[in-house]
Amino acid sequence: MSRTKLGLWSVAALLFLVAPLGLGAFWQFIAIEALVFALYAMSFNLLLGYGGMLSFGHAAYFGLGAYGVGILMAKLSAPFWLALLAAPVVAAVSAAAVGYFSVRLTGIYFAMLTFAFQMLFFTVALKATVLTGGDDGIVGLTRPGILVDPAVYYLFVLFITALAIGLLYRMVNAPFGQTLRAIRDNARRVQHLGVHTRAHCWLTFVIAGAFAGLAGGLFALSTGSVFPGWLDWTASATPIVMAVLGGLRVFAGPIAGAFVFVGLETVISGHTEYWPLFMGTIIIALVLLLPGGILGTRSGRVGH
Amino acid sequence: MESLLDQTWQNFTLFGNPTVVIRQTLSGISHGMLLFLISAGLSLIFGVTRILNFAHGGLFMLGAYVAMSVIGLVLGGLPGFVLSLIAGAALLLLVGGGLEILLLRRIYRSAHEFQLLLTFGLVFVIGDLVMIIWDREERSVAAPELLSGATRLIGVTFPTYRLFLILVGIAVAVALWVLLHRTRFGIWIRAATLDREMLGALGVNTRRLYTGVFALGAALAGFGGALAAPVLAVGPGLHVEVIIDAFVVVVIGGMGSIPGALVGSLLVGLVNAFGILAFPSLAVVLTFALMAVILIVRPWGLFGRPE
Amino acid sequence: MSVTESRPDDAAVPEPLLRIEALGKRFGGLVALDNVTIRLQPGEFRAVIGPNGAGKSTLFNTLTGLHRPDLGRVFLSGTEVTGRTPHALARLGVGRTFQITSVFSALTSLENVQIALLAHSGRSWNVLAWARSMQVTQARALLDLVGLRDRESQLAGTLAHGDQKRLELAIALATEPKLLLLDEPTAGMAARERLESIALVHRIAREIGLTVIFTEHDMAVVFAVASAITVLHQGRVLAEGLPEEVRANPVVHDVYLGETPSDYAAEQERA
Repeated sequence: MSRTKLGLWSVAALLFLVAPLGLGAFWQFIAIEALVFALYAMSFNLLLGYGGMLSFGHAAYFGLGAYGVGILMAKLSAPFWLALLAAPVVAAVSAAAVGYFSVRLTGIYFAMLTFAFQMLFFTVALKATVLTGGDDGIVGLTRPGILVDPAVYYLFVLFITALAIGLLYRMVNAPFGQTLRAIRDNARRVQHLGVHTRAHCWLTFVIAGAFAGLAGGLFALSTGSVFPGWLDWTASATPIVMAVLGGLRVFAGPIAGAFVFVGLETVISGHTEYWPLFMGTIIIALVLLLPGGILGTRSGRVGH
Repeated sequence: MESLLDQTWQNFTLFGNPTVVIRQTLSGISHGMLLFLISAGLSLIFGVTRILNFAHGGLFMLGAYVAMSVIGLVLGGLPGFVLSLIAGAALLLLVGGGLEILLLRRIYRSAHEFQLLLTFGLVFVIGDLVMIIWDREERSVAAPELLSGATRLIGVTFPTYRLFLILVGIAVAVALWVLLHRTRFGIWIRAATLDREMLGALGVNTRRLYTGVFALGAALAGFGGALAAPVLAVGPGLHVEVIIDAFVVVVIGGMGSIPGALVGSLLVGLVNAFGILAFPSLAVVLTFALMAVILIVRPWGLFGRPE
Repeated sequence: MSVTESRPDDAAVPEPLLRIEALGKRFGGLVALDNVTIRLQPGEFRAVIGPNGAGKSTLFNTLTGLHRPDLGRVFLSGTEVTGRTPHALARLGVGRTFQITSVFSALTSLENVQIALLAHSGRSWNVLAWARSMQVTQARALLDLVGLRDRESQLAGTLAHGDQKRLELAIALATEPKLLLLDEPTAGMAARERLESIALVHRIAREIGLTVIFTEHDMAVVFAVASAITVLHQGRVLAEGLPEEVRANPVVHDVYLGETPSDYAAEQERA
């Protein structure tokens, strides 16, 4: 990492640490949302940016993590820590099952199968009313002790997401991540080097699912609720938009994308009820005018 | 648990009742024909341009709204109904062509994620525009008198309009077959679906072909929306529900295949009709499970070709 | 499998490195390989030639696990490997290059070779180590071997065609294969560059004692380096032997070598 980059990251870290503490509860909540979605978008970009796998069902794992927390706390009275720990586990287990079948397919067919599984989870969440509350979702989740204070919870979320993103950074720069990029470029070539590429992609899918589940769990504990809409197909566009907005080929791209996206959503929907119209227009403009994303680089390289 | 089993058993005994079976079959087929109208266009567009058009449900919804306005504001009765169908198809023909020229044309060479995002952005834009132009209320549209009420057929009474839907579906399927096999435009479409390289060799103007296919697909969706207006609650969010069913159909039948879209539509229609009978709360889950299974064992669908 | 089965017919002949027994493969109604039997001794530099559609690509793809044969068996140093997956075969020492150059275009030359080295040492799964500093010396040595040392930090996608071919060779060598399959190693090169390029492979193979089997359209290249030649025609072995024997074979002449030079050129165009 170059010196200027290190400097930028330090300034960003300091801003993240201090800035939201001076804001009111509303903006602290928004800041938490931005952090959580940054992690969510990063987990998605592990699949798309690094692995070349366009999942159109990534919201499933965010939602499953959230439901994991919700069901454990509201229906089974599990303690906070256990529930939060369960979020990535539940998501990873589901991702393992879905990924097992999905990584056999590529391109648009991979997208369609991940999508089909997401809709399967969505309809189950909608129909299994006893556990999930159906349409009404699960509400009234509470955080223990000092975490009730949004400012403290913000710092808690900042700590967890920073840890998770740091871990992701190590992963993409480890042989695992290098090999994943090579698979994205030319899977057949990697196969003939002796790598079980399908297993490699499968593991990637599980890891991405786990991080998305963690994000979902953190978010459920921020809002105190879980709704089936988080699992719906329109929700699966969110991580794609954030990742593309920031730049698929830059490690920090999805973080920038998530912050810009959450910021725009907050500001615009504060002024008009037609946020979807604006979002749609932004998406179309992004695709046509800025396909490299905000942090897009000329060389088109990932993670350096 | 036992009561659930009992209930399911009770539901299953309904399958022994011929009246119920005939009625569910008819209802499944008529629902399937509506699905066919929207999925045929989706499939055509995918076959030629390789773009999965998420906005297709929005085009269908626009057709329904246009029909509603024509019937409510311009002309009532049977002439108004016929006019609404023509208006739905014609207007969407223009909208589809316009969208292709303005937007879609720019992304044929882009990565999947960009293609997906663009049509996805359109979903939100169309959804909100409909709310701005009309409003947020759900409305119903009356069928013309000739087609309302019920008809007695092979021992069951069945809504006349739904029988009409079946007839129209068959007519559209036949018309599409003729178009694809007996006209030059149709032969180009099939050639493009099978092998795009070949088109250049044939000296086809692919730009115009792509615009034409998108306009045709949109017109089919618009026509379907107009036709469906009397049996649906016309309201915001309609597009989001409709597109999912169409996806399931196209995946099952095979993306790019019209016979596939027809068979897939009927299959999904029937699975829904009988699924609701057997497992009322799980019928939706069933269709997605079917979609997942098809993708796992035969990703190119029942009638598609492996790439 | 019994011991006698896994041995060649004549016990006095040493076990070949690669033994292909009566291999058969069809695609629908098309017979791509028909009763193909080939033996390859260690250290050979074997050319497989034949007109387009003769079954060369199918043979390579079957040997490297992309296709599963319908009939016949394949032995590697006496061990049956029929129907193994590509990555399993790679781990057993079967390396290959592709007709359409296959490098990782968004990665640097050095990273390209590192990926292969990491795969070979079984570290592809490592999620925490710092990949950039792993096996650098070995990677540089391999780049040196193929003459790309000064291109190590260039993105592979931006290398010249000939350099990409050499990089692909370095990638293949990184997995220390016992048997290396080269699919049209000189495809897309100018005539002079072709001989130079195959000479490099030939020299390296000799130095490290590598057994090579390659397909090639250019007869000048084939006769310059091949230790023996197998001629495929319509999925069958038409002839096999030393270069001089094959050159003198009238049957081979009729179906293949009899083609005029302009036919070769046309075939190159198509390939």
